[in-house]
Amino acid sequence: MSQNETPKLEKKLVDINYLLKEAPREQHFITGAQAMAEAVKRASVDMAIAYPITPQSEVMHLVGDIYAQGHIKEYYRAEEELGTMSAIAGAARAGVRLFTATSGPGLLRGLEAIVSWPGHRVPAVLGVLTRVVNAPLSIQPDNVEMAYLLHSGIVVLHAENQQDTFDMTLAAFAIADRVDVYIPVAVATEGFFVTHAKGYVDMTPEDMALTEFDPIAAPVPAMDNETPPARIQRDAPVQKSNFMSYLIHSVWQQEIWDSNKRAMKYIYEYLGGPIEVINPDAEVFVCASGCAAAQAREAQRYSTEEGLNVGLIKVKAIKPFPEEELRDIVKNAKTIIVPEHNAIGWLAKEVKAAIPNSGIVVDGPKVYGGMTLPVELIMKEVYDALGIENDLKL
Amino acid sequence: MTPADVFKKYLPKDYVELVDYGPFGKRQDEAGVGNMGQYKELLEEHPMCSGCWMAYFIRVVFAALPNPEETVTLGTAGCGRLAISQAAVPFIYGNYGDQNAMASGLTRAFRLRFPDKTKDVITMAGDGGTMDIGFSMTMHAWIRGEKFTTIMLDNEVYGNTGGQESGMSPKGAILKMAPKGKNFGKMPATELAKAAGCVYVVRLSPTNIKNAAKIIRRAIFIAREVGPTFIHAYTSCNIEYSIPTNDVFKDAKEKEKGRFSFDEYMTDEAREVIERVEAQEKEEKKKRKAAKAEGVS
Amino acid sequence: MSKKITVGPAGYMPQSAPSMGVELAPEGKALLYGNIVEEEEAMRDAARALLTNENPTIFPGPQVLWDWKDDVKEKAAAIVELASEIPNCKIIPMPDYRPKYPKIDVKAEINPNHPNLTILDNNIKAAVFVGVHCHYANLSLRMIRAGTDCYTVALCAYMGHEEAMASIRDLHAEDLRKFKEIVIEERNKMGIEWTTTPPPANPSLPKEDYTALSPADYGEYRSLIMSQKGEHVAEVE
Repeated sequence: MSQNETPKLEKKLVDINYLLKEAPREQHFITGAQAMAEAVKRASVDMAIAYPITPQSEVMHLVGDIYAQGHIKEYYRAEEELGTMSAIAGAARAGVRLFTATSGPGLLRGLEAIVSWPGHRVPAVLGVLTRVVNAPLSIQPDNVEMAYLLHSGIVVLHAENQQDTFDMTLAAFAIADRVDVYIPVAVATEGFFVTHAKGYVDMTPEDMALTEFDPIAAPVPAMDNETPPARIQRDAPVQKSNFMSYLIHSVWQQEIWDSNKRAMKYIYEYLGGPIEVINPDAEVFVCASGCAAAQAREAQRYSTEEGLNVGLIKVKAIKPFPEEELRDIVKNAKTIIVPEHNAIGWLAKEVKAAIPNSGIVVDGPKVYGGMTLPVELIMKEVYDALGIENDLKL
Repeated sequence: MTPADVFKKYLPKDYVELVDYGPFGKRQDEAGVGNMGQYKELLEEHPMCSGCWMAYFIRVVFAALPNPEETVTLGTAGCGRLAISQAAVPFIYGNYGDQNAMASGLTRAFRLRFPDKTKDVITMAGDGGTMDIGFSMTMHAWIRGEKFTTIMLDNEVYGNTGGQESGMSPKGAILKMAPKGKNFGKMPATELAKAAGCVYVVRLSPTNIKNAAKIIRRAIFIAREVGPTFIHAYTSCNIEYSIPTNDVFKDAKEKEKGRFSFDEYMTDEAREVIERVEAQEKEEKKKRKAAKAEGVS
Repeated sequence: MSKKITVGPAGYMPQSAPSMGVELAPEGKALLYGNIVEEEEAMRDAARALLTNENPTIFPGPQVLWDWKDDVKEKAAAIVELASEIPNCKIIPMPDYRPKYPKIDVKAEINPNHPNLTILDNNIKAAVFVGVHCHYANLSLRMIRAGTDCYTVALCAYMGHEEAMASIRDLHAEDLRKFKEIVIEERNKMGIEWTTTPPPANPSLPKEDYTALSPADYGEYRSLIMSQKGEHVAEVE
């Protein structure tokens, strides 16, 4: 097959609700990277731009393969992350569906472009496969990089496992698409722990895909000189001046944060809500996101086996942060344990800021720099919270 | 560019004039560089300094466009975008220096969305945006062979931020952030472009308006079919280099004898395109002349 | 109903309507002062505002000003019909979104980078936005609510706008005609006399047709005219 020949595939195009909730599913045993690429395959993505960095390279390799197979219309490797993210922004102006992925230092290298996406209304989906941020250099998992996205206005979803990665990536394309959202959506999960480990994923059929991107149904005009054909400029440099209102930049920023807030209803509609709660009547909760949520789930299961009244709060959406939902669940709680894969405890900070009774938050256990999170670390906090003696050899 | 019928009498004068007297869908002899001022130009008002040679060149670029109704421009921070953003052609703007990366994504996306149409994508940025901060993105777009036109508005300084030394400033120039004079020489932009794979590379000081228009059109025609094209234009900053307004043209002519001597490079493939397109234009002009003569007799 | 979003001026740096808890209306409903109501209720309140406030103006945006889609013709005609039923209504377009240099002609257009200039200069107390892309509509409506006392109506082809006093969603030409009928009803109820008159043309357009002029029309100034290529000005008075 020549470099320019890609087969045309016949697919049944369906809307996101059918795809996520009604379409038949088959179980596969695949890595997180495969899960993300499989979601991209089913999302009628127009263009993907790649640049290697461990551990996300696998995702973009597989996306490249599916491009060669005809599932994506355009794909190329850019020169580095700032170039990649800028090219995504440029392509978005033409009105197409976009995907790219990055990790750790790559995210930071492209950050100038990434954080300007929301203001430019670039509805791209960004895979964030977390990795330690230098220095010192390591390729191991650590999700401190997600903290840099929290101030950008981007919608941030955090996947616990391979299944989550698949569902959230599909949902991300639909959320980004909505006229009242139309800002980038990041789907994050831990490098290696999820990307390179296999798990069971129930996937929809390969010949079924999301309906195509509509460049006209958008809150900003496509810059193609046709919709409409006029001297349109959609992102003018709005410096304060005599031909600019003093408010213009502020109201633009507000519009981005409002769009972020508006995404919440779609998170409910497509993903069942921003949090998952097990045992809501507990007094001790383990609250976690991403890969740490898998360990938190184990801790909750462990506790239940031992007859302890412990609950799980899995946070699926980091931005918009489920403040009201959290406040409601923990209003009578005595302790919230927040295990994380980073040194700064960004999730604990978000939790504390959201609830009036923040003194009940236990800021940890935190592991970082690539270390795994043994359930025993969480169990220690559980035992301490419940005043139970333990002989965990930590 | 047609307004909805009922709204034509409600549009402001500017827009009605663009529809009625603008260059959209017209030939160069009807609305081009030869008769600027006699039709509604794409660029009319801009906040550039008095004597800005860049403003003049940008005006020429817009007057020379072969298909303004299918053209999209990209720019970046700098003086250029202050004028480019006022033209009646869609303009895109991102972060500093990213215009060629954005153009890479944009041209590819346009080919997906409009496989049967040619969209002319033109990046216009200053020397700082193209060769310093945007260097990697500029070079790699060329190296990948992205099909769009890059125009570098070289005023040999970071004018918009107050006159700092730029990679394109000549050695010894005393500018902000180079109080003892620039230590290294002017970056060989056209050589870098050729090495990176640009198929049509021109260095010029735009003192001859007809020649400038021809170059711009060639760059666009070639970019449609062959590969990346690059125009390195001298567009002086009379403020930072203290050139009296009355001497700006003379300065441009002097530079033409020096480091901005006219140089046109093209690959064989590019040459074929130019020969074909220009021959076709000549043919059509002949036919029109003949038809006119017949009509009169 | 408790009015969450009211006519301004809201202040120096007001909170955005969504951050105050206003949510977009679902399909089939509309927003009125930030509350989800039936479409007709919102249309009636908007109609009354347009009939009783000074200098009512309709601001059509690029999506209806340019003939780029099949449904534009019908929508545009419906908008002018609507404007013709509102006494002393003007049409001031928003032809594009970039900041105009050096300053826009406030009598001729409105721009999302400084919509308050047009509103304040023309003393507009009731405005309708239609055919403006949602992003710019939201910016404009918020700035107007911040700095003016203008009642805003948003007629949106998609999901509507939280910042407007009245926001109608999923707008088609027939919804514009329905709105027009409601305006006529309310107008009759209030006993306002008005014969259907289209709004005046854009004041920036030339009052006479200059294309019919010849050099001779310029009298003593004809020597200053730049003649067309090949044209020879021979007539002398």
